[in-house]
Amino acid sequence: MVALSRRTALASAAGLSLPRLAIAQADQRPTITVAVQEITTSNMLEMLAEQSNVGTRIFRNFVEPLVDTDWVGDMSLKPGLATGWSRISDSVVEFRLRQGVRFHNGDPFTAEEVAFSFSADRMWGNGPLGKNPPAGAAQIARRSFPGFERMEVVDSHTVRLVNRTPDLTLEGQMARTASVIANRRAFAGAATWQDWARRPVGTGPYKVTEFNPDRILVLDAFDEHWAGRPPIRRLRFVEIPEVASRVNALLSGEVDFACDIPPDQIATIERNPRFEVAGGVINNTRIIVFDKTHAVLGNPLVRRALTHSIDRQAIIDALWGGRVSVPRGLSWDFYADMHVAENEVPRFDLAEARRLLREAGYRGEPIPYRCLNNYYTNQTATAQILVEGWRAAGLNVQLQMLENWSQITARSPTRAIRDWSQTASLPDPVAQMVPNWGRNGATWNNGEWRNEEFVDLGDTLQTSVDRAARRAAWARMLRIVEHEDPGYTALHRNGNFTAKRRDIRWRAAQSFVMDFRGENWGA
Amino acid sequence: MLRFLAFRLARAALTIAMVVTFAFIVLRMSGDPAQIIMGADAPPEAVDAFRTAWGLDRPLWEQYFHYFGAILSGDLGRSMRDGRDAIVLVAERIPATLALTIPALLIKVGIGVPAGIYAALHRNSLADRIVMVIAVAGFTVPSFVLGLILVLVFAVQLGWLPSGGQESWRHAILPIITLGVGGAAVLARFTRSAMLEVLGQPFIRTASAKGVPWRMVVTNHALPNAAIPTVTIIGFMVGSLIAGAVVVESVFSWPGVGRLLVVAVSNRDLAVVQCILLLVACTMVVANLVVDLLYGLLDPRLRSAPRQATA
Repeated sequence: MVALSRRTALASAAGLSLPRLAIAQADQRPTITVAVQEITTSNMLEMLAEQSNVGTRIFRNFVEPLVDTDWVGDMSLKPGLATGWSRISDSVVEFRLRQGVRFHNGDPFTAEEVAFSFSADRMWGNGPLGKNPPAGAAQIARRSFPGFERMEVVDSHTVRLVNRTPDLTLEGQMARTASVIANRRAFAGAATWQDWARRPVGTGPYKVTEFNPDRILVLDAFDEHWAGRPPIRRLRFVEIPEVASRVNALLSGEVDFACDIPPDQIATIERNPRFEVAGGVINNTRIIVFDKTHAVLGNPLVRRALTHSIDRQAIIDALWGGRVSVPRGLSWDFYADMHVAENEVPRFDLAEARRLLREAGYRGEPIPYRCLNNYYTNQTATAQILVEGWRAAGLNVQLQMLENWSQITARSPTRAIRDWSQTASLPDPVAQMVPNWGRNGATWNNGEWRNEEFVDLGDTLQTSVDRAARRAAWARMLRIVEHEDPGYTALHRNGNFTAKRRDIRWRAAQSFVMDFRGENWGA
Repeated sequence: MLRFLAFRLARAALTIAMVVTFAFIVLRMSGDPAQIIMGADAPPEAVDAFRTAWGLDRPLWEQYFHYFGAILSGDLGRSMRDGRDAIVLVAERIPATLALTIPALLIKVGIGVPAGIYAALHRNSLADRIVMVIAVAGFTVPSFVLGLILVLVFAVQLGWLPSGGQESWRHAILPIITLGVGGAAVLARFTRSAMLEVLGQPFIRTASAKGVPWRMVVTNHALPNAAIPTVTIIGFMVGSLIAGAVVVESVFSWPGVGRLLVVAVSNRDLAVVQCILLLVACTMVVANLVVDLLYGLLDPRLRSAPRQATA
């Protein structure tokens, strides 16, 4: 017979109760519900296929890149799944990988997983596993990593990114949404690339539990995360497309966060003391684009007149309640030494606009302005203010409301002005400018705007490793595209507003990213 | 009867073929799916690759015949957004939509028809006026306005019911009421008008003069004769069961066929839109066919002259 002393009995009882206590503690973490306009545009959770603003919102919670971004802070790069990196040459960077990281399926994170993430199977197509990414995903990868040659495995926790050409932005490329690390075994086990993309396995603080496209994404805490237990037990993103319905869901207590709140709703929400609206300026700039091939806009003087007859501050005050700001063109503070602080948007000067129009010999010919109905926040109202400003300067701009992007960008003699926005995804202008405005960039290919000097400077920005030369090239590029031969004009920094329960201590990022890690919860 | 059925089936097939063709042409003329799905910032080579992968770079007539041939073989295509079969995507949403539209139809019929009969039988009374005021309000207030009002009252102010989503039976209450109220109002108006017209007919006076009890006059003579316009409206409502809740599903974030249609149209997800339209066309055609057959049951005169009755 086993002798059971009082001390042993108490110890046994304590031992039995401890795991239950731990479970009880785990259960005390909240379930948080976030109402979003849309969960993803592609019905997939793989960032190679989901390059949208709405996809950007969710990804950081379940997958991670080697190089992270301080989204809530100053947007600088910081260690992610790599603890450090060093330049081997102008075209090679070595990354030291974090130890003790596990994927959601329990697999250890190693250099092999990094190499797989940049392999033909997952990224480029025609890999040995025969799971090809959907149309477009491989092209997005090529654009995200334009000179990528290979990812070399040095040892179990060291990899080298080898580029075909010198590139100062390789570290930044590893912070892109497309460069998140994927689990090789889970990918191999999925029937198709798309099946994998609907249930990706990453290393993030939350794991995908349920994904019902157009309805709900459920993420559960991944307690083995390298940064410790996440603060939320279950994170639910529910799709509520209508703004009014999102606000109602928040006010009735069914959701804890409501995203994409228009500025004119902020005061209404904050009248209720239980709620507040977080957010502000993000890394996105609203611009309008000019088509140089249009009969009237071919003359740069007319385009310059358009840029001078915009009262940007009036738009910000009237439509954004002063919560966003007039930018320094497309140059950003977080570009650090590449920031061209002396660059300014063309000043609001109707007299100068009229002078330019007289010089151009403009006689009131119609200029079409293609516009979507509030794809961007306040888009239609902004367009109406712009048209009135242009009318005051003597410009006959005619607003055309269209339904989709295909109609907006379709080539025809009536394509002249359209809306767009630009996101600064890396702390260097090359990522924003060259793919959109450079040689073979978006506006080059669709024939809206080309400038030979500009694209040559863009090549310098892309390939030079001389920082002074790169900065000079960038400053000159801004001068050309924003002032001398305008391809666009910046209107304002974009804003992103999230309504939430006031008792939740959480900070909005300077982007569409929503960060639910421990460092941004209860802080 | 066989000739009648054959004629109706041939006309139904032609209607469906026309819907399919119309949807195919309109969808392709109103925007490039590749540009819309890939987004404004997608690299041109990605957009081109998308077009090639989905056959959008081929001539329109070739795409049309390929699509039509595929439909005849039962292949309704795949979603351009995530590669899944369109019919699977649509079939997944049908139960959610029917969970709203069938109870709503029961409310429409269960409230609208009796209310219309009652109002007609008590013409110009206070009850008649109240029923008609409610009916006019019911069908003039747009469903999205009614939905938001119900949410403000019952979800935001009172906190009794959820404002949206599809997590429990309680989530279905407000959208069902929103859908049901408008349809009940329409049915009440139609039923009242039909009943009033029939009640003024000589055969009703004759039946009354012969001493037939009023209850029997109403049930045996007035109701069957007034049923044809009401059955027509109900048939239309049955035909709308699959895609008749587009606005309400959007307001209440209800993941049914209507929401899928809105998303698919805005993304020009061609196969999904075409699949839904085909389904709606088939449902509507079948509902109309059933209504035509019911006409014959309700009015024996129509059985002997089917061609005229359907003209």
